[in-house]
Amino acid sequence: MELVLIFFSAAIVNNFVLSYFLGICPFIGVSGKISSAFSMGLATTFVMSITSIVTWLIYHLVLVPNNLDFLQYVSFILVIASLVQFVEMFIKKISQPLYRALGIFLPLITTNCAILGLALFIVLKEYSFIEGIVYGLGAGAGFTLAITLMAGIREELDLADVPKSFQGAPITLLVAGILALAFMGFAGLISG
Amino acid sequence: MKTVIHMLITLTIIGVISGALLSQLSGWAAPKIAAHRKAETEKAIFLVQPNADSYEKIETVDFELYKVFDENKEAIGYALPYEGNGFQGKIRLMVGVKYDLNELVGLEVLEQVETPGLGTKVTEEPFTSQFNKLIADPNVEWVKGAEPSNPNEIQTITGATISSKAIVQIVNQGLDKLRASLKTGGEL
Amino acid sequence: MSKKATLAREYVKGLWEQNAVFRQVLGMCPTLAVTVSAINGIAMALATTFVLVFSSVIISSIRKLIPSQVRIASYIVVIATFVTIVDLVMKAQFPELSKALGPYIPLIVVNCLILGRQEAFSSKNPVFRSFLDALGMGTGFLVALFLLGGIREIFGNRTLLGLQILPNFYEPWLVMILPAGAFLTLGLMMGFFNTMSQRKKRLEHQTIIQQHLKPQKPALASDGEAN
Repeated sequence: MELVLIFFSAAIVNNFVLSYFLGICPFIGVSGKISSAFSMGLATTFVMSITSIVTWLIYHLVLVPNNLDFLQYVSFILVIASLVQFVEMFIKKISQPLYRALGIFLPLITTNCAILGLALFIVLKEYSFIEGIVYGLGAGAGFTLAITLMAGIREELDLADVPKSFQGAPITLLVAGILALAFMGFAGLISG
Repeated sequence: MKTVIHMLITLTIIGVISGALLSQLSGWAAPKIAAHRKAETEKAIFLVQPNADSYEKIETVDFELYKVFDENKEAIGYALPYEGNGFQGKIRLMVGVKYDLNELVGLEVLEQVETPGLGTKVTEEPFTSQFNKLIADPNVEWVKGAEPSNPNEIQTITGATISSKAIVQIVNQGLDKLRASLKTGGEL
Repeated sequence: MSKKATLAREYVKGLWEQNAVFRQVLGMCPTLAVTVSAINGIAMALATTFVLVFSSVIISSIRKLIPSQVRIASYIVVIATFVTIVDLVMKAQFPELSKALGPYIPLIVVNCLILGRQEAFSSKNPVFRSFLDALGMGTGFLVALFLLGGIREIFGNRTLLGLQILPNFYEPWLVMILPAGAFLTLGLMMGFFNTMSQRKKRLEHQTIIQQHLKPQKPALASDGEAN
């Protein structure tokens, strides 16, 4: 039950993009087409789940026992950067179609604040190993949901007559604001 | 091969310098941070137990609990930090309760992420002062839209009903836990 | 104009022309997340500027020693080190502020603005230029975060920097301090600034056209500029 709560809390109620503002760069930059947005979401979810596992292990098995807390940020970001590289090589080896679908998004993921944010939140919220993984999956699902929704809206926006000065980032931000308002309707779910 | 060695050496040097620098700095900062944290807890304890003169941490239970004393070193109650789910995320409270656990003395919200301007009203007067001298046996109850008629009732805030209920729930859960451990552990 | 930009230009360009937030749409997470009040915006921008300036200086001075294959990794380590320094100092000296900014201080590590400046500028330019560039970008970031935080604080809480600005009968717009308000305010501000710069461009075009039409009378051209 607690795990279900964690998942939905991360995916919907406290959506990473719409209420924590994490992963805004790809949200504004990439989300132009539903198909590529969805692939980006999947790639991010994949990296997020692995990140939550690896950073949890590093934090609790290496940093805490050795009193190296202060190396948290340095080690997390290095782990994420090398993880992304590794995942990229791995996917390239095992499945060409998958690599073609996800490959170009992977380098972008390193500087996606949602990944580092996830690792930090797992430490901050003192989640256990399993809870951390579920939280990572939920956050990934939430990111995919937000970025795909946004892409769908933007495909429609292409047909609309947006004032010239609002084209691009401004209208995307305004739409995101309205989406964030809509997502507020989910608050209260977790208190049951 | 030469580039690989060069790469490794560069990264190692940067890493070592960074590590050394940070360990020095953290040696300076860690005690200060710990002191701030302690001062914060202390402040909250005396806020929810205004008659307290000193306190001590109880180490025999598996949750955080403080026993507070008046100036005659007589135990007058407990200060219990406890957390649970609110409207949008975790709410963390400091609950002040009398020694016999029948009556609350005070309540302070330590952490919350409720909706600004609505849910956050649970951190302010007059909501928090409702918990002063509130009967907590058997349980705290809430009423909506009316003045409380029983000594163990509080009124929820309009527009923040879920946050108000969440606070009541957390208080009750905390007290249950405290009672349970008093039953098994005897005198604390 | 000389081939190399003047030193002053390196600083000034970040203020407006290449403003990180309004122009380059970089560093969005902290911009949106912490700007519920002007003071939070200022604190966040100062912390970011500190990290940016020091990382730029360090990376610029060791730029010739870093093999290009590991440059991103080296940049990240340098940046993360300075972020940790900021985080520790803030926790030790300004616990209240550190609590308000919460996990967004460590997220400076992945602020695309910082890594972007290292890759685009500090890795190719001498130390002093990189310093000025970083300081300019940081100041621009400060302006943006202060504007955004100030506007949200005034309309959402009636106050600016804690001082009451709007009268009591004004009912605060709660949405301004909610996440949605951050998106809406920044979107509207960007749109507004785009409108302004497009108007300016149009006016400049008109001036040029007028200058070409009446090359004998330069006085008229300056009139056109003033309009």
